[in-house]
Amino acid sequence: MFVLSVQTTGLVGLAVAENPHERLRILYTKILGVLQNIPKDAAYRKYTEQIVNQRFNLVQTETDVQKLQDKLNSGHIEEVIVQAENELSLARKMIQWKPWEPLIEEPPSDQWRWPI
Amino acid sequence: TVRPKNEVEQKQLCAFGEYLAEILPKYIQQAQVTCFNELELLIHPDGIIPVLTFLRDHTNAQFKSLADLTAVDVPSRQYRFEIVYNLLSLRFNSRIRVKTYTDELTPVDSAVPVHKAANWYEREVWDMYGVFFANHPDLRRILTDYGFEGHPFRKDFPLSGYVEV
Repeated sequence: MFVLSVQTTGLVGLAVAENPHERLRILYTKILGVLQNIPKDAAYRKYTEQIVNQRFNLVQTETDVQKLQDKLNSGHIEEVIVQAENELSLARKMIQWKPWEPLIEEPPSDQWRWPI
Repeated sequence: TVRPKNEVEQKQLCAFGEYLAEILPKYIQQAQVTCFNELELLIHPDGIIPVLTFLRDHTNAQFKSLADLTAVDVPSRQYRFEIVYNLLSLRFNSRIRVKTYTDELTPVDSAVPVHKAANWYEREVWDMYGVFFANHPDLRRILTDYGFEGHPFRKDFPLSGYVEV
């Protein structure tokens, strides 16, 4: 069977991910699918698509795990996987919250004045 | 001696503040950077959980650590209490302050579903100021004595209290 060249991530609670490219590919396609449900002019959709596409391209072009970690410059590959999972859950919640709409309510005029 | 002004960091924080204001216009009323290079986001109280979840989960803003949760009492305002959240991003080594407002009777959403660390901080704000947190798992007094009446950190609470010890 394959021998894992890295036996441990060195981080408590994070196991070494076997086949990280596959996992990241699945997660990024899911995120892009969820983002389709957001209006096209929303800033969140624009910037998140930019980030996800950038990372997706790097994942597809670079097959070596170590070099991929250096190029992404975002810690261990397992941390990148956790971050992608977080981004996916955030995208799902954003669809409900709709933060791209205009401001709900203006504050009273003296609310944020400092000194009072 | 005076601390030297770090223009680069100031510009980066301004740019990041504009980025956040562009993504979350529904909740962010103002974004400002102090002269000491501290970014502050001023939020409508309905937006606490969305904004804190966004700051925790988004790739460009991984503010995973809640460093502090306090309140400020300014009795002359209509919404006298200002709730302040201090967040730290370990990935990008940067801090951000999120501020909301409320008055004595309006409950505020609890940050515990987003950051577990908010539990005791919110108990302290309840005990000392009287700000009620909705959906808090266990909101009770934490610093005052068992039968204590009143909220000590309010500006109208006298320095040596109402009861003689």
